[in-house]
Amino acid sequence: MKVFVLIMLLMTGGLLAYGVKDFPGWSNPNAPASTHVSPRYIQAAYTKTHTPNIVTAVLADYRGYDTLGETVVIFTAGMGVILMLRKKRRNKGKDNV
Amino acid sequence: MFEYIVSKFNYWAYICLMMIGLYAMIVKGNLVKKLIGMNIFQVSIILFYVSVGAKSGGATVPILTAEDIHHAHAHVLANPLQYMNPLPHVLMLTAIVVGIATTGVALAIIIMIYNRYKTLEEDEILVIRKESGV
Amino acid sequence: MILPLDIILIVFTVICAIAAIQIKDLLSAVIILGAFSFFMCLLYAQMGAVDVAFTEACVGAGVGTVFFIAAVNKTKRRAKD
Repeated sequence: MKVFVLIMLLMTGGLLAYGVKDFPGWSNPNAPASTHVSPRYIQAAYTKTHTPNIVTAVLADYRGYDTLGETVVIFTAGMGVILMLRKKRRNKGKDNV
Repeated sequence: MFEYIVSKFNYWAYICLMMIGLYAMIVKGNLVKKLIGMNIFQVSIILFYVSVGAKSGGATVPILTAEDIHHAHAHVLANPLQYMNPLPHVLMLTAIVVGIATTGVALAIIIMIYNRYKTLEEDEILVIRKESGV
Repeated sequence: MILPLDIILIVFTVICAIAAIQIKDLLSAVIILGAFSFFMCLLYAQMGAVDVAFTEACVGAGVGTVFFIAAVNKTKRRAKD
């Protein structure tokens, strides 16, 4: 079992390494990820949102609905945790009675 | 060859961490160990995205300097080479918080499993389930 | 963007990850996972992602470790592998 898993991991890692072969080098300023849309955000963020921090400008202004959805996800997770742990406690109380 | 390896060092590191996490998730029998593996897996992907956003050559954190704010008031555009790419950072902020929410739900499920089976080992749980005829 | 610091931090993170999945005592494993998160946070700060770094420091390393410790406290501390 362990040998099989190790072979599978080596194959997966090899595939990922093969994909990395075509990447631009780490921290290359001319990489496509840094030249396609991000210059526009860096240049326009202050004039459009009046926030010096570009990350928070994109998080709360450009992607405000995305952040709202994230809050819904956290709310659902918290509700799930509360319901799961509370239901267990109530069952225990019934058993004791 | 050596330069090729060093120029993509963060990418090799992310593959290494991802394989460690995957190994823990598949081989380890303890449920908390599986969850630790899942956390390592998540963090490796966050490392990958932040590495994509890095820029060398004098780039700093993506917060506008006072000088550039002054320029923006005069409608002079900032130089993008001066700041790191902010978009992967934004996506990863969301991913970290959602990852912790997933971990919390998983830990609650683990506590429920422990209350029912009194063990956290995967093989013992399977034996108990087989004996009880589920 | 300092390459030697980057390499040192990555070596530490990999060591922490391997230790976290190999130790049999779950409480130790969880604390080492917290150390792993802090090294990761240093790595992000070194790459210029300060917002990600402090989110990871307070949410990933702080709240995550507290959740894990609470769960280990409510269940068993020993693991078989």
